[in-house]
Amino acid sequence: MRDNVRDGKHHKIRKVFPVELLKEYDYKDFSPTRKSALLTKVMCEAETPYIGSDENIVFTRTIKNLPNLYSKDEWDNLFGSLTLHELGPISNVCVDWEILLSQGLLKRKTIANQSLIKYNKDNIAKEFLESAILTIDSVLSLTKKYSQEAKTLNRLDLVSILEKVPARPPESFHEALQFLRICHSVIWMSGNYHVGLGRFDQYMWKYLEKDLNENIISKENAMDLLIEFFICLNKDSDLYVGLQQGDNGQSIMLGGVKPNGKSGVNLLTEMSLKAAGFVAMIDPKINLRISQNTDIELLKLATKLTKHGLGFPQYSNDDIVIPALIKNGYSIEDARNYTVAACWEFIIPGKGMEIVNIGAISLPAAVDYGIRKGLKKNKSFEDILNYVNDNILEQVNNLCDIYKKLYLIPSPFYSVLMSNCLENGKDMSLGLKYNNLGIHGACSASAADALAIVKKYIYENNILSKKELLVALENNFNDNNELLNQLRNDELKVGNNNQNVDKMLVKLFDMSANICEKIQIPFLHDKSKFRSIRLGSGSAMYYIWLAQGYKGMREPLVEATADGRKKDDVFGANLSPSPNIEIAGPISVMQSFSKIDYERVYNGGPITIEISDMVFKNNEGLTKVAMLVKTFTKLNCQQLQLNTLNIEKLQKAINNPKQYKNLIVRVWGWSGYFCELDKVYQNHILDRHIYHRFSM
Amino acid sequence: METNIVMKKAILFDIKEFAIFDGPGIRLTLFFKGCPLYCSWCHNPEGISKEPQILKTEVGERLVGKEYSVEDIVTKIDSQKEILSFNNGGVTFCGGEPLIYTDFIIDVISKCNDVHFILDTSGYENSEKFKLLIDKIDLVHFDLKLMNSELHKKFIGGDLSIILSNLNVLIKSQVPFVVRVPMIPGVTDTKENIGSIISLIKNAKNLIRVDLLAFNKYAGGKYKACNMDFKPRFDVNKKIKFHQKMFFDYNIKINIKILLIKN
Repeated sequence: MRDNVRDGKHHKIRKVFPVELLKEYDYKDFSPTRKSALLTKVMCEAETPYIGSDENIVFTRTIKNLPNLYSKDEWDNLFGSLTLHELGPISNVCVDWEILLSQGLLKRKTIANQSLIKYNKDNIAKEFLESAILTIDSVLSLTKKYSQEAKTLNRLDLVSILEKVPARPPESFHEALQFLRICHSVIWMSGNYHVGLGRFDQYMWKYLEKDLNENIISKENAMDLLIEFFICLNKDSDLYVGLQQGDNGQSIMLGGVKPNGKSGVNLLTEMSLKAAGFVAMIDPKINLRISQNTDIELLKLATKLTKHGLGFPQYSNDDIVIPALIKNGYSIEDARNYTVAACWEFIIPGKGMEIVNIGAISLPAAVDYGIRKGLKKNKSFEDILNYVNDNILEQVNNLCDIYKKLYLIPSPFYSVLMSNCLENGKDMSLGLKYNNLGIHGACSASAADALAIVKKYIYENNILSKKELLVALENNFNDNNELLNQLRNDELKVGNNNQNVDKMLVKLFDMSANICEKIQIPFLHDKSKFRSIRLGSGSAMYYIWLAQGYKGMREPLVEATADGRKKDDVFGANLSPSPNIEIAGPISVMQSFSKIDYERVYNGGPITIEISDMVFKNNEGLTKVAMLVKTFTKLNCQQLQLNTLNIEKLQKAINNPKQYKNLIVRVWGWSGYFCELDKVYQNHILDRHIYHRFSM
Repeated sequence: METNIVMKKAILFDIKEFAIFDGPGIRLTLFFKGCPLYCSWCHNPEGISKEPQILKTEVGERLVGKEYSVEDIVTKIDSQKEILSFNNGGVTFCGGEPLIYTDFIIDVISKCNDVHFILDTSGYENSEKFKLLIDKIDLVHFDLKLMNSELHKKFIGGDLSIILSNLNVLIKSQVPFVVRVPMIPGVTDTKENIGSIISLIKNAKNLIRVDLLAFNKYAGGKYKACNMDFKPRFDVNKKIKFHQKMFFDYNIKINIKILLIKN
């Protein structure tokens, strides 16, 4: 099944959306809310049920594309003067799957109807609720089509499941998985994207536990279903939106504590890890919450995935993440219940209407601005730091000004699945319990390196004059290769646990946090409500973009920098040392990055470490890499991505993509197929491996 | 006392964090540059010369061999001590041949507390100094290669009797040790050689086990980069005989290890 899915055998049943279907609806003057609901409806209607003979969990997308319900003029009129985030529809948040499963869609409909009565004088609420009900009915109709198809095919096993879910709560593991599959798919079909699955092992466990206790299924059967469910997530993902193939945000969070603080690790945690290893595809993207107390055996199991080169799990440290969320206004239970969005940003299931990635602070650009200005005006190092601060402030303010006009396109179906939307008669786009915005403090290592170099070479040891460095920077080091190499190979690099440069890293984040903490952005349509800014340390794709520019770029483009970097040279991804330099080792890298104050830098951003696959040639290797992960918690770091690479394989894959079509790599926050990446991302991964792989 | 002044600095060609194959737990491995011997199968040719040298790698040239003071090394160890101990590991001195810097190492150890130290060595050193050092070491990895003086001269160089003399010192010292035998096909894996090795160690109470290190077929990998020729003088593709039974007969625990390229 897995190979068939990867090979896209099911693609042949796909068709384009039949636009004739739209003609039945007079939607031109529909509000965005009604248009969103209509999209859900017509996509469900257009779907032809397909049930493969080997399938136990059904739904396969047959409609390739989503129709556009707005003409260009309409879109511009409605949204032209506002700020849409990325493509516009809500993305990158997480449903409260637990509520949905425990109630079923009919109960959600009942609640919507009750709210209709309650809010019958509120037109906006009425419109939302009616739209929500329409989407629920659409999903139920879609399901009915499938159950009829199942009947036709004499799949009575499927009929009984589909007659129950997602209308009613599931009562078994199989039913719960089927429930998820349909609803999750419909979210995508509603125009939303980066749709994660949240704390899968937490909300699904009760169904599996009951099945096992009552001997309804065996562990092996459960495993088969789980594997099939994971494979399902890869069926339609080529149709999904993302910056590169694979960037679809289908993340799953495993492990971590329950809202009462006790460990939530259960059999399903282990089974999910095993299933992901067996499936070995890029979805779902496995995330694991750990702490200093996590059992080494669980870490070893997780490390098996790392060994397979899947680029996951990504680890989040509860000991660091939870207190930071609490400190920044999240309730204790909600903080304990965190999951991650598409890449790594923390989000609360059902309650987070947060845009965790409104943009980036180009820390290298801010530092470069400060350095060039300070050198030109013959100022002190303190002055340089002040200029840097000014530039960070300007960048953040620019971004926040843009997001003051943030408009979220209503998503009635998505809202059905979130907390309290139906109950309060409000679409999630109007706000949920948490409404913050996240900014990446991007490419921090290079920025810190540049500051440290300038301090040492110009202000402390007088190795260089201000003019010499300025000229070199302005000429992109073209006439001074020797200086370029000297700066590049200086030991003052983040990742060596060198306090002289690490303190610059800390300073940059402190400056940025000082700025971000003071900002409160009012909602567009409700000036009494505000959003805070969550500062993060990731880079997303900015490690390429900030160096090479991109369409619609807001951040200042940075040219040659004092850390021995030429114009256009890309940066390290997330929390990693600058590319193309030798680094002491993985412990030093973690020690350097552990110095960031994660209570204030709490949007997320993983330390990214490459490991040579040679490490795993020996049985001990697995245990010891697991110990590296445990060390990460001991060092009080926040998030970690470990990627295993084989350089020969990567080079071969570049020359022979067809032969390596299943080679998976970690890109910046997600795993993708190496051969499907743009060249610049491929090269970055290759470089990361050459310089920074730790063969241990 | 002159040696003490000379020994304030040492040249290392690598410091590897989170080394997982150099002893129990996670270790910080210090690779000292320089070796008095020259084994035909050496897979770290950049460790042989005492002097810094240029390595031509896939991405350009790299200077191999950096000078460190005792303080530098102590500071590095201190900065990771807690993590090493958390992972039931410690520090491993190897190389090259760490005994080129015996005094330096003794100095480093004296300035570090609560660290588990391993010495990974060929045993090629003045016996008095050797004893001074190993008394401060927690675990010794002692190489035994060829027990025939002539063959030793041919494939390894140096004076075998120095090594054997220090083996005695080690056995008498009661410091726990592991014997490491590079299993080179047709050279060290003969019944005769293995038999000689066993006879030397069979009564040592402080012997923990013998590691039989399979010849690394990629050993020649770095020679070109070091501007050296890889001249093994034996058939690199010949199958290795491990003679497990011989060890078993003497109740000696063995561990067969496949050597990896140490990049």
